[in-house]
Order: sequence, then structure tokens, then C-alpha cells
Amino acid sequence: MALLEIKHVFKFFGGLAANSDIDVSVESGMILGLIGPNGSGKTTLFNCITGYYPPSKGEIIFKGQRLNGLQPDRVCKLGMARTWQKVRPLAKLTVLDNVMVGALARTSSLKVARDAAMEQLRSMRMEEKAQRLAGGLSIGERKKLEVARVLATKPELLLLDEVMGGLNPAESEEIIQLILQIKKRGLTQMVIEHDMKAIMRISDWVVVLNSGEKLAEGEPAQVVRNPAVITAYLGDANVA
Amino acid sequence: MLVFVILAALVALPKLVTNPYALHLMILLFLAVAMGEAWNIVGGYCGQYSVGHAAYFGVGAYATLMLLQYRQVAPWWGVWGAIAAALMISVVIGSICFRLRGPYFVLASIAVAEIIRLVVLNWKQFTNGAEGILLVDIPPLKLGQTLITDWLSKTPFYYLGLALALSTLLVNYLVLHSKLGYYFQAIREDQDAAHSLGINLTFYKNAALAISALFTALSGVFYGLYIGFIDPPGVLGLDTSVQMVLICIIGGIGTILGPVVGALVLVPLSEVLRANLLSKALFVLGLVKETSRLGNFLKENLAHAHVLIYGILVVVVILYMPDGVLGFLRKLLARNVRPLAPSSRPVVGDLDGPA
Repeated sequence: MALLEIKHVFKFFGGLAANSDIDVSVESGMILGLIGPNGSGKTTLFNCITGYYPPSKGEIIFKGQRLNGLQPDRVCKLGMARTWQKVRPLAKLTVLDNVMVGALARTSSLKVARDAAMEQLRSMRMEEKAQRLAGGLSIGERKKLEVARVLATKPELLLLDEVMGGLNPAESEEIIQLILQIKKRGLTQMVIEHDMKAIMRISDWVVVLNSGEKLAEGEPAQVVRNPAVITAYLGDANVA
Repeated sequence: MLVFVILAALVALPKLVTNPYALHLMILLFLAVAMGEAWNIVGGYCGQYSVGHAAYFGVGAYATLMLLQYRQVAPWWGVWGAIAAALMISVVIGSICFRLRGPYFVLASIAVAEIIRLVVLNWKQFTNGAEGILLVDIPPLKLGQTLITDWLSKTPFYYLGLALALSTLLVNYLVLHSKLGYYFQAIREDQDAAHSLGINLTFYKNAALAISALFTALSGVFYGLYIGFIDPPGVLGLDTSVQMVLICIIGGIGTILGPVVGALVLVPLSEVLRANLLSKALFVLGLVKETSRLGNFLKENLAHAHVLIYGILVVVVILYMPDGVLGFLRKLLARNVRPLAPSSRPVVGDLDGPA
């Protein structure tokens, strides 16, 4: 059985269907790339999955448990963690404290949390930044901090919302390596990304959204050749 | 080391100083510290700017004094009633107000406190309404047969106030160095991020409010017993709520010692204003002639202008010392110790943080 099953999920904002009949299943251990033009409903789907919006219709099933209507903190405790497209560092806390807040989801001991957080930072080569205030980090460092912080909550499924957005090529490459490394540790990931090259490299399966609907899904190489996907991205004239 | 010296001095003070006004000032200072530190837990760490804390202060004072006057319950038993009442209304207020965020939470907290003030004001048979409650006397505190205190001098209140202030400081320290402190600060910095990291917002906000309400109520009990008279505007009015916030904003919000510094600024200031020392000082310094029209105007009005002066003070602090007096002093100190070290400079590159 799939780790996460999104079954016919709809999300309406007034008359607007931000998500319409989305049906996706995420197998354990895979990296699922979620792509689509701006406003196609990718982040809304993340918000539905992680409990920020209850879906208007449909079901979200994680590890066999129905998530609909469950609050984000409960979802996190069940083993699902998300990052934010617009990074949300706890600005007045240090980098270490930020990661500790994540680690405290699994322990009440500050010492255990501190050790786990330090270990997490070390594995991402951020340990020299540990005592810096999170608000003073560069955008690349903030994106890495987002990932470190959610990894500290010990998730099984990681939802990464444009972690490469706004990064230079070297920083993007670092994130790509990080995502592949996380995969090696056996974690499942759902990745929203605009950088098609990156998506092609890391994804095992790609889902394309357009205007709130699922346009196509398949292996990366298939999806990029799909005429409907090319039309959605580039317009009619470019279909060969 | 310095801490122990200060503590020893504070404990020894009533033995050395017999001037009742000096002790009175110290007691007011302790009360202000306790109130500021209590508010700091929900406002400073958790970032929920309640401007309705008079509700807990007033309910604490009313519960203890009503039990004492109408039911002859000694205050050291009545205080438990006060705590229970404050915790109960904190749960009710929390479950109403924490549905709202930011400025809407602030407004709701004011509204609920005003409702409580109006209920106490108008429920005359129960609370004695606008006449308030005048405390006749506090029964002597005995342990077995030994008399501990008969509450006739200021000294027992001095030690009680000191204990209250110290215990609120200790609670701040313990909160800040526990999971609660981390979670409260995460909620302050970014609620949605905190929520996604497994923090149950409703539970932790209510926990912060409950701890804060408990110590605010204790401050109210102390105020009621010490001053000996309470009425709705005095203990339940907006002034009391605002004062608690001001102590923290001026001293340094969200720090353990901030409210202490705030109390050290505000208590002397309010005494100076009350005794009209400010206009006297202007006359003595020769800046304004006492007999001139301006002099007369100042003499008559400056004592009543404390709200205006608080307002000016808050504007100055917010504009020039956004981290409060304590943060300002720390920055000065850091600058003097390492005048050119790069790390002492403010960090630039805050791309999307609040300005």
C-alpha cells in the first residue's frame, strides 16, 4: 500500500476550484516531483495534505490513516513534515534553536533535542552557523535551515515546497545532493519545483498540475514528451 | 556573585532602612516586577499581546478580599480560591481570544477584561459595586503557637513582595529553559511554521496564558492585601493592563530581566509625577519661574499628566530602543567592549522579516 494516498481531492475557495479531483499516490521511498505553472494548485495541495486546509471533498490517507481535518501539529507527529515556499525562519532564535524546535516534536528533553539538532546541522555542514540568529542568514542558508528543521522532526514523508527557488546554481546543486542523500536514508519525498532540469534528475515519478487539475503523471522522461504538458507550459504553437 | 550580593542587600534592607516611604517604594517595585514578569510569559515569550491582564489581577484581588471580608477565610487559604478563579477565567478567555491573531487578539483581550470589570461594577450585592472593598484587617499569621507576623508594619509585605518578585523571575527562568520556552518563542516568531513543526498552538498558547494568569492573580492578591482597598477601576481597569505591558515594552520584551528594568524606570517615574517633583525640579533648576504663567500651569497640571508622559516615553522607547532599555544598554555595552569587531554590528540581509 502506498505511504500517502490522495483520493479525488477537491479544494474550493468560493467558486474557484484550486484543486479539482486530484488523485495521486506516493509510494514509500520515492521522490515524487510535483510541477505545474504558477497558480496550478501545487501549494494548495500541500496545504490540504498537511492540514492547513481541510479538503472540500475527497480523502487523504497517510500510513492507512485518514488525515482530513487533522491539525498540522498532529500531521507532523504522524511523520509528515513540510517546508515553506516563502521560508519561515524563527528569526530571533538561533539556527540551533530553530532546529531544536523541530527536534522537540519527538522528545521533551532539551539535551536530547540539542544533541539531535546539532547532529542534524553537522550532517548538513551548517554547524558553524549554529549560534547565528536565523534572521541573519542568507536565502540559501535559510532554505537549508528549513530542511534541517523539518528533518529534525523525524518525518517519514517530507514535502518540500520550492526549496531551490531563488538559489544560485551552486546552492541549487547542494540542495539536489541533499534531497538525493535524504532519499538514500529511506525517506519519501514530495517535491514542488520549477526548475525542470532538477525535477528530471531527482524524481522517480512526476505529477503535473494545471489550473487545479491533474494534467498528467508518469516517469519524468514520459511526462516531458506529453503534448498536453508542453501545451500547458509553452502554449499551442510549440507542439510538434 | 553579583546576584547574591543584590539578594543579600534586599533581604537585609528592612533591617537597615526604617523609613516607611522607602519600604513602600520597594514594595511597589516588587509588585511591578511581578506584574511585568507575569505578563512577559504570554506577551514576551509567546508573543500574544494581551492587554486584558487586569482581568486576572482584579479577579485575584477580589476573590481573596471577598473571601476574607464576607466569609472570614484567611488570605493564605483565600489565595487558592484566587488562583482557581484566575485559571478558570484564563481558560475561558483563552478559548475565546486565541481564535484570533495579532491585533484582533489584542482587541478581544481588552473587550473580555472590560466585560469582567463591568460585571464586577454592576453586580452590587456580590461585589459591592463601585464602592469597592475596604479591607478591615488581616488575621495574624501563626504557625502552631508562634506568631509569624501580625501584618501591622510594612516589613512583612516587603518580604512577601520580594518573594513574589523572585518567584516570578524564577518561573521566567524555568519556562525559558524548558520545552515550553522553545515552543512559546516558536509561536511568537511564526505561528504557521510552529504549527507545522508539531506544536499544538491552542494548547501551548493556553498554557502560557494560564501560567501568566496565575502569577498576575498572585500580584493582584498581594496588591489587595497591601493597599487594603480595591474597586473596579483600580484593579480591573485598562490602566492596570496597560501598565503591565508598559513595564515589559520599556524594559525589554521577552527577556528575563527586561521587566525588572522596566519596573526600575516606571515606578520611580510614577512616584516623581505623583509627588509633582518634575515641576519642582524645573523651578529649582531655574528653567521655569514658579510664579510665571507657565510655572503655574505646570504646577497644576504636570502631576496629572502621567499618562501623557508614559505615552511620550513609549514612543521614545519604540523609536530609539526597540529592544527596550535593557536591549539598548546591552548594545551600548557590546559596542564599547568590541568597538570594531564585525560580529557586533547589526546583521544585514533580513530579506523578508518585519521592518
